[in-house]
Amino acid sequence: MKKLLTIALSAGLLIGATTSMASPEKDLADLKSHFKSKFPSLDLNDFVNGPYALNEDKRINWEGIEEFPPYEEFVEVGEELYNKPFKNGKGFASCFGDDPSAVRVKYPHWDNKAKKVITLEASINKCLKDNGEKPYKWKKGNIAFVSGYLGYAARGQKVDVKVPKEALGAYKEGRAFWYGKRGQLNLSCGDCHVYNAGNFVRGNVLSPLYGQATHFPVYRGKWGKKKAANGMGTLHRRYGGCNKQVRARPLKAQGKAYSNLEYFHQAMSNGLEINAPGYRE
Amino acid sequence: MYKQIRIAAAAASLVIAAGCAHAGASAEQKAYDAALVATSAAADKAKSVNGEWRDIRWKKSKINLMKKAATAAKAGDFAKAMSLLKEAKFRAEMGYQQAMEQKNAGPHH
Repeated sequence: MKKLLTIALSAGLLIGATTSMASPEKDLADLKSHFKSKFPSLDLNDFVNGPYALNEDKRINWEGIEEFPPYEEFVEVGEELYNKPFKNGKGFASCFGDDPSAVRVKYPHWDNKAKKVITLEASINKCLKDNGEKPYKWKKGNIAFVSGYLGYAARGQKVDVKVPKEALGAYKEGRAFWYGKRGQLNLSCGDCHVYNAGNFVRGNVLSPLYGQATHFPVYRGKWGKKKAANGMGTLHRRYGGCNKQVRARPLKAQGKAYSNLEYFHQAMSNGLEINAPGYRE
Repeated sequence: MYKQIRIAAAAASLVIAAGCAHAGASAEQKAYDAALVATSAAADKAKSVNGEWRDIRWKKSKINLMKKAATAAKAGDFAKAMSLLKEAKFRAEMGYQQAMEQKNAGPHH
Protein backbone atom coordinates (compact mmCIF):
# COMPACT_ATOMS: atom_id res chain seq x y z
CA MET A 1 0.00 0.00 0.00
CA LYS A 2 2.81 2.35 1.01
CA LYS A 3 4.62 1.45 -2.19
CA LEU A 4 1.53 2.20 -4.27
CA LEU A 5 1.11 5.53 -2.55
CA THR A 6 4.74 6.42 -3.25
CA ILE A 7 4.33 5.53 -6.93
CA ALA A 8 1.12 7.58 -7.18
CA LEU A 9 2.74 10.55 -5.48
CA SER A 10 5.80 10.32 -7.72
CA ALA A 11 3.57 10.18 -10.79
CA GLY A 12 1.73 13.24 -9.52
CA LEU A 13 4.98 15.09 -8.92
CA LEU A 14 6.17 14.12 -12.38
CA ILE A 15 3.01 15.53 -13.98
CA GLY A 16 3.38 18.68 -11.91
CA ALA A 17 7.00 19.00 -12.91
CA THR A 18 6.15 18.55 -16.59
CA THR A 19 3.56 21.34 -16.37
CA SER A 20 5.91 23.74 -14.63
CA MET A 21 8.69 22.89 -17.07
CA ALA A 22 6.55 23.94 -20.07
CA SER A 23 8.93 26.01 -22.17
CA PRO A 24 8.42 28.21 -25.25
CA GLU A 25 10.17 25.56 -27.34
CA LYS A 26 7.95 22.78 -26.04
CA ASP A 27 4.83 24.91 -26.40
CA LEU A 28 5.71 25.61 -30.02
CA ALA A 29 6.51 21.97 -30.74
CA ASP A 30 3.19 20.89 -29.19
CA LEU A 31 1.33 23.55 -31.14
CA LYS A 32 2.89 22.51 -34.44
CA SER A 33 2.04 18.91 -33.76
CA HIS A 34 -1.55 19.87 -32.84
CA PHE A 35 -2.05 21.75 -36.11
CA LYS A 36 -0.22 19.14 -38.15
CA SER A 37 -2.64 16.50 -36.94
CA LYS A 38 -5.63 18.84 -37.33
CA PHE A 39 -4.72 19.84 -40.88
CA PRO A 40 -2.52 16.99 -42.18
CA SER A 41 -2.57 18.12 -45.81
CA LEU A 42 -1.21 21.57 -44.99
CA ASP A 43 2.45 22.53 -45.08
CA LEU A 44 3.40 24.27 -41.83
CA ASN A 45 4.60 27.33 -43.77
CA ASP A 46 1.08 27.78 -45.17
CA PHE A 47 -0.18 28.78 -41.72
CA VAL A 48 1.09 32.33 -42.24
CA ASN A 49 -1.94 32.80 -44.48
CA GLY A 50 -4.30 32.07 -41.62
CA PRO A 51 -7.89 31.34 -42.61
CA TYR A 52 -6.99 31.56 -46.30
CA ALA A 53 -4.85 28.48 -45.93
CA LEU A 54 -7.80 26.62 -44.47
CA ASN A 55 -10.68 27.54 -46.76
CA GLU A 56 -10.56 27.44 -50.55
CA ASP A 57 -13.38 29.95 -51.20
CA LYS A 58 -11.92 32.49 -48.81
CA ARG A 59 -8.51 31.96 -50.35
CA ILE A 60 -9.70 32.74 -53.88
CA ASN A 61 -11.33 35.95 -52.68
CA TRP A 62 -8.22 36.95 -50.70
CA GLU A 63 -5.90 36.30 -53.65
CA GLY A 64 -8.05 38.66 -55.71
CA ILE A 65 -7.73 41.39 -53.07
CA GLU A 66 -3.97 40.86 -52.80
CA GLU A 67 -3.59 41.74 -56.49
CA PHE A 68 -4.18 45.37 -55.53
CA PRO A 69 -3.62 45.25 -51.78
CA PRO A 70 -5.47 47.98 -49.86
CA TYR A 71 -2.57 48.31 -47.40
CA GLU A 72 -0.04 49.30 -50.07
CA GLU A 73 -0.72 53.04 -49.97
CA PHE A 74 -0.40 53.03 -46.18
CA VAL A 75 2.92 51.21 -46.33
CA GLU A 76 4.05 54.11 -48.52
CA VAL A 77 2.76 56.62 -45.98
CA GLY A 78 4.66 54.66 -43.32
CA GLU A 79 7.83 54.85 -45.36
CA GLU A 80 7.45 58.62 -45.74
CA LEU A 81 6.88 59.03 -42.02
CA TYR A 82 9.85 56.81 -41.24
CA ASN A 83 12.18 58.85 -43.43
CA LYS A 84 10.84 62.27 -42.47
CA PRO A 85 13.36 64.08 -40.26
CA PHE A 86 12.27 65.08 -36.76
CA LYS A 87 12.36 68.74 -35.70
CA ASN A 88 15.76 68.10 -34.13
CA GLY A 89 17.12 66.86 -37.45
CA LYS A 90 17.29 63.22 -36.42
CA GLY A 91 14.92 60.52 -37.60
CA PHE A 92 13.70 57.01 -36.84
CA ALA A 93 17.01 55.67 -38.15
CA SER A 94 18.71 57.27 -35.13
CA CYS A 95 16.73 54.83 -32.96
CA PHE A 96 16.45 51.79 -35.21
CA GLY A 97 19.60 51.87 -37.34
CA ASP A 98 20.13 52.41 -41.04
CA ASP A 99 18.52 49.21 -42.27
CA PRO A 100 14.72 49.30 -41.93
CA SER A 101 14.51 45.63 -42.97
CA ALA A 102 16.40 44.63 -39.84
CA VAL A 103 14.00 46.22 -37.37
CA ARG A 104 10.86 44.09 -37.22
CA VAL A 105 12.69 40.81 -36.51
CA LYS A 106 14.01 42.21 -33.24
CA TYR A 107 10.52 42.60 -31.79
CA PRO A 108 8.97 41.88 -29.42
CA HIS A 109 11.90 41.36 -27.08
CA TRP A 110 12.62 41.26 -23.38
CA ASP A 111 14.41 44.28 -21.94
CA ASN A 112 16.35 43.06 -18.97
CA LYS A 113 17.02 46.57 -17.70
CA ALA A 114 13.40 47.72 -17.85
CA LYS A 115 12.24 44.21 -16.84
CA LYS A 116 9.49 44.20 -19.41
CA VAL A 117 8.52 43.19 -22.92
CA ILE A 118 9.24 45.83 -25.55
CA THR A 119 7.05 45.83 -28.64
CA LEU A 120 7.82 47.46 -31.98
CA GLU A 121 5.02 50.00 -31.51
CA ALA A 122 6.30 50.90 -28.04
CA SER A 123 9.74 51.54 -29.51
CA ILE A 124 8.33 53.69 -32.33
CA ASN A 125 6.61 55.93 -29.81
CA LYS A 126 9.61 55.96 -27.48
CA CYS A 127 11.75 57.12 -30.39
CA LEU A 128 9.33 59.95 -31.12
CA LYS A 129 9.15 60.97 -27.47
CA ASP A 130 12.91 60.82 -26.94
CA ASN A 131 13.32 63.17 -29.88
CA GLY A 132 10.77 65.70 -28.70
CA GLU A 133 8.05 64.57 -31.09
CA LYS A 134 4.45 63.83 -30.19
CA PRO A 135 3.89 60.07 -29.88
CA TYR A 136 1.32 58.43 -32.18
CA LYS A 137 -1.96 56.98 -30.95
CA TRP A 138 -1.51 53.29 -30.14
CA LYS A 139 -3.95 51.34 -32.25
CA LYS A 140 -4.35 52.80 -35.73
CA GLY A 141 -3.18 55.57 -38.00
CA ASN A 142 0.50 56.56 -38.14
CA ILE A 143 1.67 53.90 -35.71
CA ALA A 144 0.20 51.18 -37.89
CA PHE A 145 1.60 52.80 -41.04
CA VAL A 146 5.18 52.97 -39.71
CA SER A 147 4.93 49.51 -38.19
CA GLY A 148 3.42 48.27 -41.46
CA TYR A 149 6.31 49.72 -43.42
CA LEU A 150 8.83 48.03 -41.12
CA GLY A 151 6.91 44.76 -41.44
CA TYR A 152 6.86 45.09 -45.21
CA ALA A 153 10.60 45.79 -45.26
CA ALA A 154 11.17 42.62 -43.22
CA ARG A 155 9.03 40.36 -45.41
CA GLY A 156 10.54 36.96 -45.96
CA GLN A 157 12.63 37.00 -42.78
CA LYS A 158 11.67 34.63 -40.04
CA VAL A 159 10.02 35.43 -36.73
CA ASP A 160 12.60 34.82 -34.03
CA VAL A 161 11.31 35.79 -30.61
CA LYS A 162 13.81 34.94 -27.93
CA VAL A 163 12.64 34.15 -24.43
CA PRO A 164 15.57 34.28 -22.00
CA LYS A 165 15.28 32.79 -18.52
CA GLU A 166 14.53 36.23 -17.03
CA ALA A 167 11.57 36.68 -19.39
CA LEU A 168 9.84 33.39 -18.60
CA GLY A 169 7.47 35.10 -16.16
CA ALA A 170 6.25 37.52 -18.84
CA TYR A 171 5.99 34.69 -21.36
CA LYS A 172 3.94 32.59 -18.93
CA GLU A 173 1.64 35.53 -18.18
CA GLY A 174 1.05 35.96 -21.89
CA ARG A 175 0.43 32.24 -22.27
CA ALA A 176 -2.04 32.21 -19.37
CA PHE A 177 -3.84 35.19 -20.92
CA TRP A 178 -4.08 33.34 -24.22
CA TYR A 179 -5.49 30.16 -22.72
CA GLY A 180 -7.52 31.81 -19.95
CA LYS A 181 -11.26 32.07 -20.48
CA ARG A 182 -12.53 35.63 -20.38
CA GLY A 183 -15.64 37.70 -20.59
CA GLN A 184 -19.27 36.87 -20.26
CA LEU A 185 -19.01 34.30 -23.07
CA ASN A 186 -16.31 32.46 -21.09
CA LEU A 187 -14.09 31.94 -24.12
CA SER A 188 -10.31 31.97 -24.36
CA CYS A 189 -8.22 33.04 -27.35
CA GLY A 190 -7.22 29.38 -27.54
CA ASP A 191 -10.82 28.15 -27.66
CA CYS A 192 -11.22 29.85 -31.02
CA HIS A 193 -7.72 29.93 -32.48
CA VAL A 194 -6.30 26.62 -31.27
CA TYR A 195 -9.14 24.16 -30.73
CA ASN A 196 -11.61 25.57 -33.26
CA ALA A 197 -9.27 26.97 -35.91
CA GLY A 198 -10.73 26.36 -39.35
CA ASN A 199 -14.31 26.34 -38.08
CA PHE A 200 -16.77 29.07 -38.99
CA VAL A 201 -17.99 31.80 -36.65
CA ARG A 202 -20.87 33.25 -38.62
CA GLY A 203 -19.27 33.98 -42.02
CA ASN A 204 -15.68 34.03 -40.75
CA VAL A 205 -13.17 31.21 -40.63
CA LEU A 206 -11.25 31.12 -37.35
CA SER A 207 -7.53 31.53 -37.97
CA PRO A 208 -4.93 29.31 -36.28
CA LEU A 209 -2.59 30.61 -33.56
CA TYR A 210 0.40 29.20 -35.42
CA GLY A 211 1.32 31.83 -38.00
CA GLN A 212 -1.27 34.30 -36.76
CA ALA A 213 1.06 37.12 -35.69
CA THR A 214 3.28 37.13 -38.79
CA HIS A 215 1.05 39.47 -40.78
CA PHE A 216 0.56 42.23 -38.20
CA PRO A 217 -0.08 45.11 -38.42
CA VAL A 218 -3.00 44.15 -40.56
CA TYR A 219 -5.42 45.81 -42.95
CA ARG A 220 -8.92 44.65 -42.09
CA GLY A 221 -11.75 45.20 -44.53
CA LYS A 222 -14.09 45.61 -41.57
CA TRP A 223 -11.99 48.40 -40.08
CA GLY A 224 -11.56 50.17 -43.41
CA LYS A 225 -15.23 50.16 -44.36
CA LYS A 226 -15.93 53.82 -43.54
CA LYS A 227 -12.45 55.21 -44.01
CA ALA A 228 -9.68 53.29 -45.75
CA ALA A 229 -6.92 54.70 -43.52
CA ASN A 230 -8.66 53.21 -40.47
CA GLY A 231 -8.28 49.77 -42.02
CA MET A 232 -4.71 49.46 -40.77
CA GLY A 233 -4.40 48.39 -37.15
CA THR A 234 -1.94 46.99 -34.68
CA LEU A 235 -2.02 43.65 -32.92
CA HIS A 236 -3.16 45.34 -29.71
CA ARG A 237 -6.11 46.88 -31.54
CA ARG A 238 -7.09 43.38 -32.58
CA TYR A 239 -6.69 42.08 -29.02
CA GLY A 240 -9.12 44.75 -27.85
CA GLY A 241 -11.60 43.71 -30.54
CA CYS A 242 -11.33 40.03 -29.64
CA ASN A 243 -11.81 40.75 -25.95
CA LYS A 244 -14.83 42.87 -26.76
CA GLN A 245 -16.33 40.04 -28.82
CA VAL A 246 -16.22 37.65 -25.86
CA ARG A 247 -17.76 40.45 -23.77
CA ALA A 248 -14.67 41.22 -21.74
CA ARG A 249 -13.63 44.81 -21.18
CA PRO A 250 -10.69 45.49 -23.51
CA LEU A 251 -7.41 46.30 -21.78
CA LYS A 252 -5.05 49.16 -22.46
CA ALA A 253 -3.12 48.88 -25.73
CA GLN A 254 0.61 48.51 -24.99
CA GLY A 255 -0.12 47.84 -21.32
CA LYS A 256 1.65 44.99 -19.54
CA ALA A 257 -1.06 42.37 -20.15
CA TYR A 258 -1.28 42.86 -23.93
CA SER A 259 2.50 43.24 -24.30
CA ASN A 260 3.05 39.92 -22.52
CA LEU A 261 0.30 38.40 -24.63
CA GLU A 262 2.05 39.62 -27.77
CA TYR A 263 5.31 38.11 -26.52
CA PHE A 264 3.71 34.67 -26.26
CA HIS A 265 1.67 35.18 -29.43
CA GLN A 266 4.65 36.10 -31.60
CA ALA A 267 6.83 33.37 -30.07
CA MET A 268 4.23 30.86 -31.27
CA SER A 269 5.10 31.86 -34.84
CA ASN A 270 8.85 31.40 -34.44
CA GLY A 271 10.46 30.07 -37.58
CA LEU A 272 7.70 31.32 -39.89
CA GLU A 273 8.14 34.06 -42.46
CA ILE A 274 7.03 37.60 -41.71
CA ASN A 275 4.37 38.62 -44.24
CA ALA A 276 3.22 41.93 -42.75
CA PRO A 277 1.12 43.78 -43.39
CA GLY A 278 -1.54 41.29 -44.33
CA TYR A 279 -5.12 41.68 -45.47
CA ARG A 280 -7.92 40.10 -43.48
CA GLU A 281 -11.69 40.39 -43.77
CA MET B 1 -65.96 79.60 4.39
CA TYR B 2 -66.74 76.02 3.37
CA LYS B 3 -64.90 76.63 0.10
CA GLN B 4 -61.86 77.98 1.95
CA ILE B 5 -61.73 74.91 4.17
CA ARG B 6 -61.86 72.66 1.12
CA ILE B 7 -58.98 74.54 -0.55
CA ALA B 8 -56.90 74.45 2.61
CA ALA B 9 -57.55 70.73 3.03
CA ALA B 10 -56.60 70.06 -0.59
CA ALA B 11 -53.44 72.10 -0.22
CA ALA B 12 -52.58 70.30 3.02
CA SER B 13 -53.05 66.89 1.46
CA LEU B 14 -50.85 67.91 -1.46
CA VAL B 15 -48.11 69.00 0.92
CA ILE B 16 -48.42 65.76 2.91
CA ALA B 17 -48.40 63.66 -0.25
CA ALA B 18 -45.36 65.46 -1.58
CA GLY B 19 -43.60 65.07 1.76
CA CYS B 20 -44.28 61.34 1.83
CA ALA B 21 -43.07 60.96 -1.73
CA HIS B 22 -39.85 62.81 -0.91
CA ALA B 23 -39.22 60.72 2.19
CA GLY B 24 -39.76 57.57 0.10
CA ALA B 25 -37.41 58.77 -2.64
CA SER B 26 -34.73 59.51 -0.09
CA ALA B 27 -34.84 55.99 1.26
CA GLU B 28 -34.67 54.60 -2.26
CA GLN B 29 -31.91 57.01 -3.14
CA LYS B 30 -29.92 55.88 -0.11
CA ALA B 31 -30.35 52.24 -1.06
CA TYR B 32 -29.33 53.06 -4.63
CA ASP B 33 -26.24 54.96 -3.45
CA ALA B 34 -25.18 52.04 -1.27
CA ALA B 35 -25.70 49.56 -4.12
CA LEU B 36 -23.72 51.82 -6.43
CA VAL B 37 -20.77 51.85 -4.05
CA ALA B 38 -20.88 48.07 -3.67
CA THR B 39 -21.13 47.52 -7.44
CA SER B 40 -18.27 49.93 -8.18
CA ALA B 41 -16.12 48.13 -5.61
CA ALA B 42 -16.92 44.75 -7.18
CA ALA B 43 -16.09 46.11 -10.64
CA ASP B 44 -12.82 47.61 -9.37
CA LYS B 45 -11.91 44.26 -7.84
CA ALA B 46 -12.54 42.49 -11.17
CA LYS B 47 -10.57 45.15 -13.03
CA SER B 48 -7.61 44.74 -10.68
CA VAL B 49 -7.13 41.20 -12.02
CA ASN B 50 -7.97 42.12 -15.66
CA GLY B 51 -11.26 40.27 -15.28
CA GLU B 52 -13.85 43.00 -15.78
CA TRP B 53 -16.59 42.15 -18.24
CA ARG B 54 -17.58 44.46 -21.08
CA ASP B 55 -21.07 45.61 -20.18
CA ILE B 56 -20.69 46.55 -16.54
CA ARG B 57 -19.52 50.16 -16.97
CA TRP B 58 -17.20 50.40 -19.98
CA LYS B 59 -17.99 53.70 -21.65
CA LYS B 60 -18.00 52.24 -25.17
CA SER B 61 -20.41 49.46 -24.25
CA LYS B 62 -23.85 49.89 -25.78
CA ILE B 63 -25.32 48.09 -22.79
CA ASN B 64 -23.36 49.73 -19.94
CA LEU B 65 -25.48 48.54 -17.01
CA MET B 66 -24.22 51.08 -14.49
CA LYS B 67 -24.87 53.97 -16.84
CA LYS B 68 -28.38 52.69 -17.48
CA ALA B 69 -28.88 52.35 -13.72
CA ALA B 70 -27.82 55.98 -13.21
CA THR B 71 -30.28 57.12 -15.88
CA ALA B 72 -33.10 55.14 -14.29
CA ALA B 73 -32.29 56.50 -10.83
CA LYS B 74 -32.24 60.04 -12.17
CA ALA B 75 -35.69 59.47 -13.63
CA GLY B 76 -36.90 58.18 -10.25
CA ASP B 77 -37.22 54.56 -11.39
CA PHE B 78 -35.30 53.06 -8.50
CA ALA B 79 -36.70 49.57 -8.98
CA LYS B 80 -35.14 49.44 -12.46
CA ALA B 81 -31.93 51.08 -11.24
CA MET B 82 -31.50 48.56 -8.43
CA SER B 83 -32.20 45.65 -10.74
CA LEU B 84 -29.54 46.88 -13.20
CA LEU B 85 -27.00 47.36 -10.42
CA LYS B 86 -27.72 43.87 -9.12
CA GLU B 87 -26.96 42.46 -12.56
CA ALA B 88 -23.82 44.60 -12.89
CA LYS B 89 -22.54 43.48 -9.47
CA PHE B 90 -23.19 39.84 -10.30
CA ARG B 91 -21.21 40.18 -13.54
CA ALA B 92 -18.38 41.92 -11.72
CA GLU B 93 -18.18 39.12 -9.17
CA MET B 94 -18.27 36.48 -11.89
CA GLY B 95 -15.50 38.30 -13.79
CA TYR B 96 -13.30 38.29 -10.72
CA GLN B 97 -13.98 34.63 -10.02
CA GLN B 98 -13.29 33.73 -13.64
CA ALA B 99 -9.97 35.62 -13.68
CA MET B 100 -8.83 33.92 -10.49
CA GLU B 101 -9.76 30.48 -11.74
CA GLN B 102 -8.04 31.05 -15.09
CA LYS B 103 -4.85 32.75 -13.93
CA ASN B 104 -2.72 29.66 -14.54
CA ALA B 105 -4.53 28.47 -17.66
CA GLY B 106 -2.58 26.54 -20.25
CA PRO B 107 -3.10 24.39 -23.33
CA HIS B 108 -4.88 21.06 -23.16
CA HIS B 109 -4.05 19.59 -26.54
